[in-house]
Amino acid sequence: MTAPTIANRDDLISYLHTAMALEHATIPPYLTAYYSIHPNTNSDAAHIIRVVAVEEMLHLTLAANVLNAIGGTPDLTRPGFVPSYPAYLPDGEDDFTVDLRPFSPEAVETFCKIERPGTAHGASSRLVPAADSAKTLLVSSPTVEGMRFYSIGEFYAEIIEGLEKVAAADPGLFCGNPARQVGPEAFYSGGGVLKPVTDLDSARWALQFIADQGEGLDSGLYDDDGELAHYYRFRQLQLGRYYQVGDQPDAPSGPPLSITWDDVYQVKVSARLADYPPGELADTARQFNVDYGVFLALLTEAFNGEPTLLQDAVWYMFRLRDKINQLMRNPLPGSDWLHAAPTFEIPAPAGSDQHASLATGEVAQAVPR
Amino acid sequence: MTARSFERFLHLSVDLTAFRETELLGTGLAHHYLAKVRAACGDEIFADLLAAHRLARADATRDAGTCDRTLLDRALRHRILSDDTLGPVARNVIKLWYAGMWYGLPPEWTDRNGARAAAETSTVTAASYQEGLLWPAIGANPPGAKAPGYGSWAQPPRIEERYLKRAGK
Repeated sequence: MTAPTIANRDDLISYLHTAMALEHATIPPYLTAYYSIHPNTNSDAAHIIRVVAVEEMLHLTLAANVLNAIGGTPDLTRPGFVPSYPAYLPDGEDDFTVDLRPFSPEAVETFCKIERPGTAHGASSRLVPAADSAKTLLVSSPTVEGMRFYSIGEFYAEIIEGLEKVAAADPGLFCGNPARQVGPEAFYSGGGVLKPVTDLDSARWALQFIADQGEGLDSGLYDDDGELAHYYRFRQLQLGRYYQVGDQPDAPSGPPLSITWDDVYQVKVSARLADYPPGELADTARQFNVDYGVFLALLTEAFNGEPTLLQDAVWYMFRLRDKINQLMRNPLPGSDWLHAAPTFEIPAPAGSDQHASLATGEVAQAVPR
Repeated sequence: MTARSFERFLHLSVDLTAFRETELLGTGLAHHYLAKVRAACGDEIFADLLAAHRLARADATRDAGTCDRTLLDRALRHRILSDDTLGPVARNVIKLWYAGMWYGLPPEWTDRNGARAAAETSTVTAASYQEGLLWPAIGANPPGAKAPGYGSWAQPPRIEERYLKRAGK
């Protein structure tokens, strides 16, 4: 029997910071696979990956809402927020690492592991000892050293239990300024909905929703809204067929999916800036990382009282999309015909003033009127 | 097509379009465009075009190996753009990169060099409209593609710093 790992507001805040890092950590792998697909090919797979990636962005925002609701300060710019790939997931799952891979059976295998349903029956077995403490686990249980979770769902189950406990002892737990909450108007183009978090019920809903959308309700195929869970979406790519209602997990009986694994830019797996020979392409890859850092600073501002900035953040995302596509169509010299890919090695902000880095980080400036 | 002629075609395209090699490769269409130009004007004229570009580069290279942009501009006009055979092809290469379309060569050109089916006006691939350099050059997205995000149309166009006049000052 493992003792609960959340005793007070500070523990909750640490867990929710980890939750944000965890949700974000899944996005670069999904984007790498998604954009590696040649345009106008693999539409089934591209659609599945895209929807999951967009819903991870919803999860990130919901986690920020819960953190804000209990008076925390979301920060996507702190060192280590973006893991160094290949990485362990920040909830401490240590039996697999996550690489940045082109769309491939190996990538889909990793995606299934990321979204896998939990196996723990009850809180007693949710936390298990981390296998190899010598390796850098980014964070496992942020409050108990050497412990980790088997699945993302179990990580969230721990937070929900902690929230209930701390809320019962502390009526003032939900002291956050409601103006910092991000509402439904900021999320589109994916399943699910963004709701403000102001009390225990809405916090519980948000966290349970994240877990269900990933792995299914009570490890079933569909979530509350009848939406297929991420794990099973990816299983379709492995099993070659779509699920339909009533199917068993291992036997989808819907229409077949068409996948052509060759219609993919073979980008270097978990490329690093060090893999780029000095020159124009290396500069482009480095600039992408700077831009991504500026983007994370913008999200941080949005989650700290300026939710309307999320509209600008969406524009930013589309520009990042164009940059990723550009990189991936370039062969990476000296890598046996492999292609380039973004490395997501985010440079430390130049100064503490975020506005200053916003201004200097962008290459393309809006033309003055 | 050899890797060398592909590389030379890229270098020519960089000088003709003022976009960087990374950006040209970033369209994913460089190989398609090379094949198109070659089919439209024939191997011989294509080879002459690449050779003329190398000579223009040599004209503009100083002793230290650096390229004089003014000399290059002059050499490109002299050796390629004012040439009756190479000039129309080079202008078409520019239009190809910017608009994603191959425009038919003028009648005077085909009278002299022969007409080919591949020389007629055509789109290269469905992607070439979206990847036209015209769009980044004016800081806009191709209408109907590469969605820039809700409400972004209320913002002024974004032009890369190096293309703005004030950048050189």
